[in-house]
Amino acid sequence: MRLEAEERDDAALLRAVARGDEEALAALYDRHAGWLTVRLTRRCAMPDLVDHAIQDTFLAVWRKAGSYRGGADVAGFIWGIGIRRLIDLIRRENGPRPLLWRAEPEAVVSAEEQVLVGIEHGRLGQALARLSPELRGAIEATVLDGLTCAEAAVLLGVAEGTVKSRCHRARQALRAALAADQAGSESPALRREAWGTS
Amino acid sequence: MTSPVVPCAGGPSGVELLASYAAGTVEPAVVWSVEAHLPGCARCRCALSGHVDQQRLVRNRSVLLVRAAIGDEGPVRRLICRFGVHDHLLRLLAATPSLRRSWLLSIVGVLAAVVGEAAAVRYGWIPSGRPGGLAGYSDPEVLAPFLLVAPLIVLAGVAAAFLPVFDPAYRLAVAAPFSGVTLLLVRTVSALAAALVPVVGAAFVLPGPGWLPAALLLPSLALSAFALAAATVMSPRAAAVAAGVAWVLPALLLATAHVPLLIVQRPAQVACAAVLCASFLVLLARHDRFELGWKR
Amino acid sequence: MEEMTLNVSTAALCADGLSRMYGAIRALDEVNLTLDRGITGLLGPNGAGKTTLLSILATVNEPDTGRVSVFGLDPRDRAERVEIRRRLGYLPQELRYHRHFTVAGFLDYVAILKEITDRRRRADEVARVLAALGLERRARTRIRALSGGMRQRLAIAQALLGQPELLILDEPTAGLDPEQRLRFRELLSGLPGDPVIVLSTHQADDIAAICPKVVVLLQGRVRFAGTPSELAATASGRVWAAAERDPGAHLSWRGGDSRWRHIGDNPPDGAELVAPTVEDGYLLLSHAVVSDDRH
Repeated sequence: MRLEAEERDDAALLRAVARGDEEALAALYDRHAGWLTVRLTRRCAMPDLVDHAIQDTFLAVWRKAGSYRGGADVAGFIWGIGIRRLIDLIRRENGPRPLLWRAEPEAVVSAEEQVLVGIEHGRLGQALARLSPELRGAIEATVLDGLTCAEAAVLLGVAEGTVKSRCHRARQALRAALAADQAGSESPALRREAWGTS
Repeated sequence: MTSPVVPCAGGPSGVELLASYAAGTVEPAVVWSVEAHLPGCARCRCALSGHVDQQRLVRNRSVLLVRAAIGDEGPVRRLICRFGVHDHLLRLLAATPSLRRSWLLSIVGVLAAVVGEAAAVRYGWIPSGRPGGLAGYSDPEVLAPFLLVAPLIVLAGVAAAFLPVFDPAYRLAVAAPFSGVTLLLVRTVSALAAALVPVVGAAFVLPGPGWLPAALLLPSLALSAFALAAATVMSPRAAAVAAGVAWVLPALLLATAHVPLLIVQRPAQVACAAVLCASFLVLLARHDRFELGWKR
Repeated sequence: MEEMTLNVSTAALCADGLSRMYGAIRALDEVNLTLDRGITGLLGPNGAGKTTLLSILATVNEPDTGRVSVFGLDPRDRAERVEIRRRLGYLPQELRYHRHFTVAGFLDYVAILKEITDRRRRADEVARVLAALGLERRARTRIRALSGGMRQRLAIAQALLGQPELLILDEPTAGLDPEQRLRFRELLSGLPGDPVIVLSTHQADDIAAICPKVVVLLQGRVRFAGTPSELAATASGRVWAAAERDPGAHLSWRGGDSRWRHIGDNPPDGAELVAPTVEDGYLLLSHAVVSDDRH
């Protein structure tokens, strides 16, 4: 119940921002900038770039709040703007490729996480974990972040063709891993997501 | 409503999970779960905020609010910036008096009055005591007020760019390292453009010869350049007055001699071109005088 | 007449024999001055030449005679003048604003004049000075809607943009209430980088509260240079209180406790001497100059 109330509040804040209420923008920032910072940092390890992306994102929200149609939730709306701002900045930066994947798969996996992976994704999750980082990166950019191949290419710092071929190989690998074991505890929704929209 | 698949921040394992996610030490598949969960759970989002450096958040917040207050990145601005104009030069224009709406409105008002009066006389709405228009050509005297006023309007716009009296924060501009010449150039060019548009537009509307709009360009430019060049030799105010007088006197003389159009016809155009070139040369040679405020 | 006993060659700012005339009025008369890191107060009545002196130090005006050296740079040379201005923050007297500007817009404009061309760095600087002067909530307010005290704080804020090494503030406390003056003092002593700060005022209690060093300027000449306590000490033995007005004093006024306070060269025998304040020293000096002129 409380979660739904918060969601309504977000939409109300966005409407206030569209009317030019600066306090509402600040309130929206206070609610969303934190998690956005963390999530963007996972895509780009340069903190300056992430800071600029955060500022640009909320500036875009300030200008485009009127275009929010209430379809996706507000957090998703903000994420969509945020990841594209980050890509814009990376594209303009054009310098040394930003580092990705601060995650260390060799780190000790806690018991909770193992259980989580098992319940949550079943074989799919293990297959994902076994993918090489580049393939996983391509899948994550196109599927989880919902980017086009061109945008994903900027984010990953490779050519667009490379992104396409990596996605293709990743899907092949996942298909093979799933086909190798027919046990079906993976959720159908996630499987649809893994195959992507194209 | 089904319970969320990932342990929410409400439970102890959820808190640890978020901490690991923030630190970047979770399995990639778990990352997916967390990130898919975030848009739907405000409590987890809030808990995640706690893992970000608060000073960094505060700093970004204040910069954001300042940028929102300044109002940068409008669509017009981005378009102009694509042509290579630096963003900070555009922002300087915000301080130019001759680009303010009030200034432009008064220009339009003056022009409307002059053009309106000319049209009224030409079309006989006001009795003028003279015979009606010549074939294909209005009575040139009707144009006299416009010819007097139009280049002066352009001159006024340019004068507002370099006269200290039009810049309330003039002393700040003097004490600042920003190049006075660049500042002047930016303001002058934009003032010229802003003033020429309504003037040339009014010339189109005016009941006069078809070549009138084009004929106004050279005198306006020459007058402005003359004022700027004179400002390197004498005080800015004197320079602006001298330029104004240099136009008003001949215009009035020719008007009383009943041949006001002479001031924009071929011989006068040649003279204006000469003045323009001479002023350019003087400006090139003495442009460093435009370091604001410094006399020697 | 005392001079600052600093080693001239290492002083941050050095003025030598400055003179300036405005028509027949001698605004500055052979002014010698050395300034170093920290806050120096310039004390004098209106018309004493403080504004002229400060505008010369800020490279806005030129002296008729004399030389100035700022961080070893000579403002008579064009390139060095621009370099001085890069390190300068200037608050002119009675600063006027483009009325249509918002607070943030005006500060953005001044930041561009200070050659901060990167948009984000500018916003960062503007946010920093807004926070320092407590104006964050006013970023979008139009300047014409601000009160006098807020406009003064805005004027101080623009001087702080770019973290200048030399701060020249002409009457910065004008229009500030006592609490704001306290904040201002805290602000000045907390500035990073230990800049050279010169501020002018005609109120002696500003000096006592804010400035560890003071220069008294009267009728275009330096009459005193030293610490505020030294200035106060020049009046020691010459300030006394009494129940009634004493005609032999140079200056007398009734204090809040309805006793008369007197300043003069010859306190009567048995008079109740009181500890002199900075203002007493200043008034005594001021009176001496004025009576010198009369003779």
